[in-house]
Amino acid sequence: MTGWSPARVWRSRIHRYRLIAARCTSCGRAHYPPSNACPYCGSRSLDNVELPRVGRLLSYSVVYTTPFEDKSRAPIVIGLIDLGVAKLIAEVVDVTPEDLEVGVSVEAVFRRVSVDGSTGLIVYGVKFRPRREG
Amino acid sequence: MAYITGVGLVNVDRHYDKGIRGLAFEAASKALDSSMSSEVDFIVVASSLSYLQEPQLDLASYIASSIGLRGARSIAVESGEASGLAAVMTAKTLVESGVASRVLVVGVDKVSDHPSWRAYKHLSMLYDTESDAFYSIGLGGVAGLLMRLYMHVYKVDRLTLAYWPALMHSNAKKNPYAMLRFSITPEKVLEAPPVAEPLTLLDTFPLGDGAAALVVEGSPSRGALAEIAAVESATGYQSVALSDDPLKIESLEVAYMRLVERTTLESIDVVELHDSFTIMGVLELETLRLAERGKAAEAVAQGYFSVGGGGPVVNPSGGLKARGHPIGATGVYQVAEVALQLAGEFPGLQVEGAKGGLVVSLNAAGSSSYIAYLRSVR
Amino acid sequence: MASMLAPERGAGIHGWGVYIPRYRISMAEIAREWGWPDHQWKALGMVEKAVAGPDEDSTTMGLEASLNAIKRAGINPSDIGAVFFGTESKPYAVKPSATIIAEAIGATPLTMASDLEFACRAASEGMRASIGLVTSGIVKYALVVGSDTAQANPGDVLEFTASSGAAAFVIGSSQGSAAVFEGSSTYVTDTPDFWRREGSPYPRHGEGFTGEPAYFAHIVGAVRSLLEKLGLRPSDFNHAVFHQPNGKFPLKVGEMLGFKPEQLKVGLVTPVIGNTYNGSALIGLARILDYAKPGERILVAPFGSGAGSDAYSLVVTDVVEEKRGRAPTVDDYINDKIVISYSLYAKFRDLIRVVKE
Repeated sequence: MTGWSPARVWRSRIHRYRLIAARCTSCGRAHYPPSNACPYCGSRSLDNVELPRVGRLLSYSVVYTTPFEDKSRAPIVIGLIDLGVAKLIAEVVDVTPEDLEVGVSVEAVFRRVSVDGSTGLIVYGVKFRPRREG
Repeated sequence: MAYITGVGLVNVDRHYDKGIRGLAFEAASKALDSSMSSEVDFIVVASSLSYLQEPQLDLASYIASSIGLRGARSIAVESGEASGLAAVMTAKTLVESGVASRVLVVGVDKVSDHPSWRAYKHLSMLYDTESDAFYSIGLGGVAGLLMRLYMHVYKVDRLTLAYWPALMHSNAKKNPYAMLRFSITPEKVLEAPPVAEPLTLLDTFPLGDGAAALVVEGSPSRGALAEIAAVESATGYQSVALSDDPLKIESLEVAYMRLVERTTLESIDVVELHDSFTIMGVLELETLRLAERGKAAEAVAQGYFSVGGGGPVVNPSGGLKARGHPIGATGVYQVAEVALQLAGEFPGLQVEGAKGGLVVSLNAAGSSSYIAYLRSVR
Repeated sequence: MASMLAPERGAGIHGWGVYIPRYRISMAEIAREWGWPDHQWKALGMVEKAVAGPDEDSTTMGLEASLNAIKRAGINPSDIGAVFFGTESKPYAVKPSATIIAEAIGATPLTMASDLEFACRAASEGMRASIGLVTSGIVKYALVVGSDTAQANPGDVLEFTASSGAAAFVIGSSQGSAAVFEGSSTYVTDTPDFWRREGSPYPRHGEGFTGEPAYFAHIVGAVRSLLEKLGLRPSDFNHAVFHQPNGKFPLKVGEMLGFKPEQLKVGLVTPVIGNTYNGSALIGLARILDYAKPGERILVAPFGSGAGSDAYSLVVTDVVEEKRGRAPTVDDYINDKIVISYSLYAKFRDLIRVVKE
């Protein structure tokens, strides 16, 4: 059972693919994913802003309580990422958990986030990986 | 004015032999019997996972009919993990507005029927499916990263944060309704299997079923256990990532400020708060200024929140960690426990002479927060 | 003398980019699992191959390669008028990956987009089509993506080489490009050397039959046709990159055609990343562009089973140097690796039979 109907996948594709945040024209703050009104000042006047694809890992957790469909990736690292203008929570990939540290530089990557069985839709989105040096 | 005139608790456990209707029936029967009457104008049902797990809609009506209250007015309240306290708020509002004179609040949820990996999936839906829960956060992913952030920002070590679960287990040993009634040491917490590092199994609420019920009246004809002086609430950010200060639970701070506007907190002798994970308990103490920022874990370790420690007694029931956390029902347990404390009738660790108590219930990392002040009537 | 009239001269490569997953598995690890003698993989000239992680697929890899190519091209993605996605490992049998990429890079809605199939040369067909679209003026820029998460029947010799990776190119007018096309040629016949039936998880192949009548015949056919058309000889080229299913075949076909091993050196990547199928010759081309000097001439000859080969002649311009540093190089990806065990590889590539809910 998935909550990601074809319509929901379609409605959210732009912000999922391109890391598009909403920015309030009243107070200037950005938030991701885009909501209908500014979570800070409540204004309904929002426009779009593309987020930077590089940021810092403020914190993370290594999750062992993985739902069955995600077992191939367990344990899964969940991170709190600061992209400067906005922060978000996302999976951190391509890393052995022992090699992670608070404060490392991370970059956005486009990955499969969930798959609806063998016949349903693939939902893509942005995850983060430690930034390679050089 | 709103008063609690009856309570009914089911021990938190894996009740394979009872469904949600059976559990609700047991708690409701006890509450109605203890209130000396089966008259109910309104039933308010609090549940959260049932909508996903049964799955069942119009839950309050089906529960009402199945427990002998067909015909009563019914409404279901869902606010994730805070459903129970939200339901108590609803009941208080109903009696104070004059719409009802006797309200039965029933909180019920089952967490142990399905295999744990399915429970993890359902529990992740307590978080925002558009942001955090878009990813595979499992059980504890967000709390785990808050724990690591806390340790990093305040330079508090893992062992200091392990005194909380040890205290909860110690408190629950005397509580006949608690799910886990054995002692643990802080060292054992560190050795336990990881759930969402740095959280271990012993930092995490156990998966158990339960039901709790209250009778709430505006003008009790007989004595009441306690008065519900005020309940307040606030909605919070969709994700902690949106907060400028993720280690403060903004919605709880707002709810608390609203509470003190509504009523005077003459004394806070006992607190039942929402320690779904060790870190949440710590952050709530700091958000409520019962401890300084970065100091709550240390204060717990030093016994400040234990009986005779100088501070309010926190979670004498054993809290979500040891009494248990049947999600939608938990808030009702907490209110029942504080009411019994204030009446001098708590069957477990009793806070002697308690005059006022706080109940804190929130969902996830604070998408909504509820706080209640109860006053003794003795 | 190169022909002055080849229409391809109106087109060039404005941006190039690749993506190679971080994970690697060694040949020795695969051999140990299936009881192969070491000689088997040594004879293929192989060391390691790249393995896509469990949340990667040809679309995710293709997108990162595309973003790198667009960074190098320095263009507005809305000026891209065609997106060709060449793959033989489509995440959807029906539903294009090209639209996902087009949407993700910001080229939608006024753009052509399609997924192409011709085993390992599908992307290359897209490249020839792009040259036509650009030189005719129908589109300003075209994005060509070659990406595969190649699968082989576990225990089959193909398992040593079937790997994952992607390459992408922004094709535009030769004006301002990093490398100009001098000409192109395609040579196809109906040759069943390697195939996969609908519903089958793994391909089958004719073993030795994949060599002489397929790989060699078609590459030789395409390259000779190109050289003749343009009046060029192997010695006129500084670099040559052929489809590289292993570390040996390209050296052999190079020799057959009269190229020297030094000419093939920069473009030969399969020994360390495996055969990335639609990425194969094209990742090699990208590596050449990472190193080539202005004025150098490059031969590119992708091959796809079924069977067919293309041949291109490219001449590098001054512009290559300013574009190079805008995105990670092929070597940046090659050197960034985490070596894994066979069991982890099997789990990542879904080879372990798990009964899903």
